[in-house]
Amino acid sequence: MQHNRIKIFLVDDDALFLKLLEIEFLQETDFDIKTFSSGELCLDNLSYHPDVVILDYLLAGIDKTAMNGIETLDKIKSLKSDIQVVMLSAQDKIDVAVSCMHHGAFDYVVKSETAFLRLQKIILNILKTKKTESELKWYMERM
Amino acid sequence: MKNAEIKSPQYARSLIEASLDPLVTISTMGKITDMNEALTNLTGISREQLIGTDFKDYFTDSRKARKVYKEVFAKGFVIDSPLTMRDSKSTDVLFNGSVYKDGRGKVLGAVVVARDITERKRIERQLIEARVFAELAASMAELAKTKAEGATRYAESAMKAKQQFLSNMSHEIRTPMNAIIGFTKVVLKTDLSAEQKEYLIAIKMSGDSLIVLIDDILDLAKVDAGKMSFEKTPFRMTTSLAVMLKLFQTKIQEKNIEIVSEYDIDIPGVLMGDAMRLHQIFINLISNAVKFTNEGKITVCARLLSEDAEHATIEFSVTDTGIGISKEKLGQVFENFQQATSGTSRLYGGTGLGLAIVKQLVELQGGTITVKSEVDKGSTFSFNLNFQKTNGEAELEVELIELDKEIKNIKVLVVEDIPLNQLLMKTLLDDFGFERDVAANGKIAIEKLKAGSYDIILMDLQMPEMNGFVATDYIRNTMQSKIPIIALTADVTTVDLEKCKAVGMNDYISKPVDERILYSKMMALVKKPAPEVKKARDKNSNEVKTSTRCIDLGSLSQRTRKDPSLMKEMILLYLDQTPTLIHAMKQSFNDKDWNGLHMAAHTLIPSFSIMGIHVDFENMAKKIQEYAIAQRQAEGMDEIVLQLENICLQACKELQEELKELKMQTYAT
Repeated sequence: MQHNRIKIFLVDDDALFLKLLEIEFLQETDFDIKTFSSGELCLDNLSYHPDVVILDYLLAGIDKTAMNGIETLDKIKSLKSDIQVVMLSAQDKIDVAVSCMHHGAFDYVVKSETAFLRLQKIILNILKTKKTESELKWYMERM
Repeated sequence: MKNAEIKSPQYARSLIEASLDPLVTISTMGKITDMNEALTNLTGISREQLIGTDFKDYFTDSRKARKVYKEVFAKGFVIDSPLTMRDSKSTDVLFNGSVYKDGRGKVLGAVVVARDITERKRIERQLIEARVFAELAASMAELAKTKAEGATRYAESAMKAKQQFLSNMSHEIRTPMNAIIGFTKVVLKTDLSAEQKEYLIAIKMSGDSLIVLIDDILDLAKVDAGKMSFEKTPFRMTTSLAVMLKLFQTKIQEKNIEIVSEYDIDIPGVLMGDAMRLHQIFINLISNAVKFTNEGKITVCARLLSEDAEHATIEFSVTDTGIGISKEKLGQVFENFQQATSGTSRLYGGTGLGLAIVKQLVELQGGTITVKSEVDKGSTFSFNLNFQKTNGEAELEVELIELDKEIKNIKVLVVEDIPLNQLLMKTLLDDFGFERDVAANGKIAIEKLKAGSYDIILMDLQMPEMNGFVATDYIRNTMQSKIPIIALTADVTTVDLEKCKAVGMNDYISKPVDERILYSKMMALVKKPAPEVKKARDKNSNEVKTSTRCIDLGSLSQRTRKDPSLMKEMILLYLDQTPTLIHAMKQSFNDKDWNGLHMAAHTLIPSFSIMGIHVDFENMAKKIQEYAIAQRQAEGMDEIVLQLENICLQACKELQEELKELKMQTYAT
């Protein structure tokens, strides 16, 4: 159905988790995946215009001077507000989730074995929303 | 435009009349005092009749209309309030109104505009309809997709079931056939009258042809399932053809026909290809030729068609002077279960699968096959195949070593559950002059191996208690023994052969066992030291190790779909990242750097489940994270940090070993 592959950025400083996600995404053919080990690298490549960014909440687990996930999220949203961002975190905490949503994230996923499945579902939702929005825009323009 | 004109009441009036939206003025009592042309058009009632009537009466919901104009007087204005006109078309309007006052600010009445929004409503409806339709179409497409996927899955599983069924049947038939053919051979060696010998030879030949039939059916099933594979190994074409022609020697002498071979000396000495499959093609074609030829000769020919730097194309042909095939039937000879005439099968035997297989074997290797024939004169089957050239040496083919009665001090362990087969193997081995011992299953075999010493094991695969795979795995990995093991298999599907190699067996023999092949293979393994078996673990590993492993790569291997190179990458990443994190965790814990501790523990958390480490440890890391966030030291925290360090170090150690094995696997594939 969707001929263009969905461009996705995966951003995590945890190389192990990042690789696993990448492997899992690459097994599905409809995704065009780019991985980044820091928020800075992700921002440098925003010109590539991803459809979805999957962003680790912490990002400063190893390099403590690195930009954290929320800062990266804010920056993405201020530069290109139409890019949807899904936050990932090892923390299963409501307040973390709420804060992510307040900063404009599309959704929040806890790093667990089912993370990939959840992400897949969320990406489908994002695409659905996008489609409905552009459809609506099309009709509004004609009214 | 001049000011005077704007102020002119006439001018204002004409503007109002020109408006397409109905305009009305109403008194504070809700009576119509004035209107424009648009209202009279919409209601279809004249100006005179409208004046002085109740404004609310012109709407379908007059109570709501009354409320709206009351609101105008109460608030001074109202914006976009939706109402429906009581006219022939029930026009939907948006109601906008505001009060007007006299010079002293006394409210005189209200001006009301009712905007006709019929068109807008129509587009809205269309939008909704279009969207519903689009959703419907999408769900229909989704449904069709699911159906198609279901059908594909169904077809795949049916194909698998067929393959499995044939493989099982082949096993069930081969096992008794093994005994029939084997014992017939044994009896043939005893003193017999000429008559007895003749009958026994008939039994053996019937058995042989039954085995060929089973092989043919299995081959066709493999082609159907897309599982037919071809090897690319260097082989010597001349030897290959000569060996094969030798097989027909006796038959040809019996029938008093001649076999001639014409071999083009320009054909490169060593070529890359599947010699076994080439044999199979030739055996089918030549045995056909022999079957249908009663006098004259059979010519087997190999000719170099073309050659470039990398490849050589060779044309092979088999020509006979037999009964031939009529023109009408010529087109069908390559179809399954077809013989030229239905009568021939009764006269000459055979199932008609041979040529179908030949065609598949040739075409799957990118070649073509053709047939020319004339009734009563003979037939020519020719096919061409493309081979890769090589500088390498041909692999040593299993030469049939003549029984050498000198080598007798070989001790063989036969692992086989079926008594008939046990007896047959005993007879064969006795004939070779070998010492032998029999174990009825893998468990007994291992006990015997521990108690005594053997030179070689012949291992059946399917046995009760402990099968051949498990037994071999135990012998290789737990006992650390490199004793040569030959698998005895009745099940010749490729899957099982891979499994044999994977658990560390050296070779295999398919039943019914050909004693010359058995002897050759045994001698080849016993004479030279057994080659290093790839699965054998080095150094001082012991049995306990497997049971206390902290990692479990089941989930990882599932998520990487068993791709060894991806698994390797993941393990390397873990080995690279984890020691750093452990160090950071310890360091920040000692320095009471809560933030650092939080970060380190946080990053560590997902790795436990990835490597299949027990969830307890993941929870410990989570606990550390919580304490770190709360910025306080809790009792037992140092103990947890220590435990995490230990488990991660152990995981690293185990993963190092896993990595070594994966490397071997990737080399092997």
